[in-house]
Amino acid sequence: MEPLLHIDNITKSFGSETVLHNVSFTLQEHEVLSVLGKSGSGKTTLLKILAGLEKEDDGTISLSRKRMNDTPPNKRNIVYLYQEPLLFPHLNVSENIAFGLKIRKQSAGEIKTKVENMLLEIGLENHAEKMPHQLSGGQRQRVSFARALIIEPKVLLLDEPFGALDAETRVQMQELFKKLSKKMKLTSIFITHDLKEALTMGDHIGKIELGHFKRYESKQDFYDDADSGAQQEAAFWKQFM
Amino acid sequence: MKKALQILFILSIFFPIAFLLVLSLGRNWPYPELLPQSLSLENWEFLQKSDSKLLQTFFLSLGISILVATVTTALAFITSKHIALSKYRNKLMLLAYIPYVLSPVILAATLHFFFIYAGISGNVSGVLLAQFFIAYPFGVIILNNFWNHKTKAIEELSRTLGSSNWQTFKNVLLPISKNALLLCFFQTFLVSWFEFGLTNLIGVGSVQTLTVRVFSFVNEANIFYAALASCLLILPPMILIWINKRYIFATETVI
Repeated sequence: MEPLLHIDNITKSFGSETVLHNVSFTLQEHEVLSVLGKSGSGKTTLLKILAGLEKEDDGTISLSRKRMNDTPPNKRNIVYLYQEPLLFPHLNVSENIAFGLKIRKQSAGEIKTKVENMLLEIGLENHAEKMPHQLSGGQRQRVSFARALIIEPKVLLLDEPFGALDAETRVQMQELFKKLSKKMKLTSIFITHDLKEALTMGDHIGKIELGHFKRYESKQDFYDDADSGAQQEAAFWKQFM
Repeated sequence: MKKALQILFILSIFFPIAFLLVLSLGRNWPYPELLPQSLSLENWEFLQKSDSKLLQTFFLSLGISILVATVTTALAFITSKHIALSKYRNKLMLLAYIPYVLSPVILAATLHFFFIYAGISGNVSGVLLAQFFIAYPFGVIILNNFWNHKTKAIEELSRTLGSSNWQTFKNVLLPISKNALLLCFFQTFLVSWFEFGLTNLIGVGSVQTLTVRVFSFVNEANIFYAALASCLLILPPMILIWINKRYIFATETVI
């Protein structure tokens, strides 16, 4: 099966520092790829290049077999979500969710129906008129998800989306993401530095370290790699058993 | 004690305004009387006299200040964004303070030769340009803090959600920067409105703004007309304060 996203030899430097070294991988349609990476590993730069927010120095990006290197961010249909929900502060919950649909000039009736359905999906149907500052961190992140999902992006890029949430909300959000991901058949790259989260969220796992990307064939392959950190994590928990 | 301080504060604000109003209505104020001996609307009738040109001066000043504030705010918005994203942000921001270190009058004296050379000394376009030299860096200083990593991230997010640059500007940046833009407009309006030294030097007496007229009346020892012109002078700032309170503080956007 032809991959949806094809990344080939992406390289990026800032000044004399090379942050991405010949990064290559593919992403199948409806696949969730978890990418583990520490701070400064180049993971955010990679996502920004895929979204069109940074320009690569070399390499090609193809989406549905179409070269995307020179396509502006608004034409790629790849949404990049930050760790912070970044809701538009002047718009209420409904208006935030409807943002991408209005930009696409969909009819008012269509927007209303879609937003109502999305509010039900994220469990915020009673908060439609609230402003962002009236929501909790978890609720804001839900709205942020809904705003991205409603435009049915070809690829969703998530840059440590639950990093700022407390443990309980984080689990709720992981469950919500998995549910929506399955239901909407999302194709996404999920960046995290949490090993457990990477295993839970992704169909496949990759790792980025000092600008070098490695994709594991399976979760077992990931576990077997002594450098992945999975064995150390397992050994840590085993000592209490 | 608390109440006394509150009264003192209120008095310190309202006494000069009230006294200015009384003076503008005053006639015959011999030393050492505390207040003018008689009050009438006679001074205010001066406004209607064709040779006073006070109303004309008022509208000329208003026009100059609105134009300076509008152009400055628009340009400072774009400039401050580029400066904020530059790796030389701190050095460039330091440059923005230089016109104030020099003082506007010294800046005007330095530039006056070029204004004469360009043929814009003593006319409105010269005054507009001179005031812009002072207001522009001030506008950049005011708007610079608006641009931060969060604003950049919101802008990028809007782009990946499908907005063009223009749509991002219109639907996201403009609404979230509304308060900062209004603040910049008000502040640069006030810089222009109360500017005296630079305007006087570049205008060389041919361009008389209201602030310049107030000083002329003071120099002529015409205290009543000076008070009358001052009443007009404080009118736009008072309206701006009211708008500020009514529309900016009341609708502060939480980013």
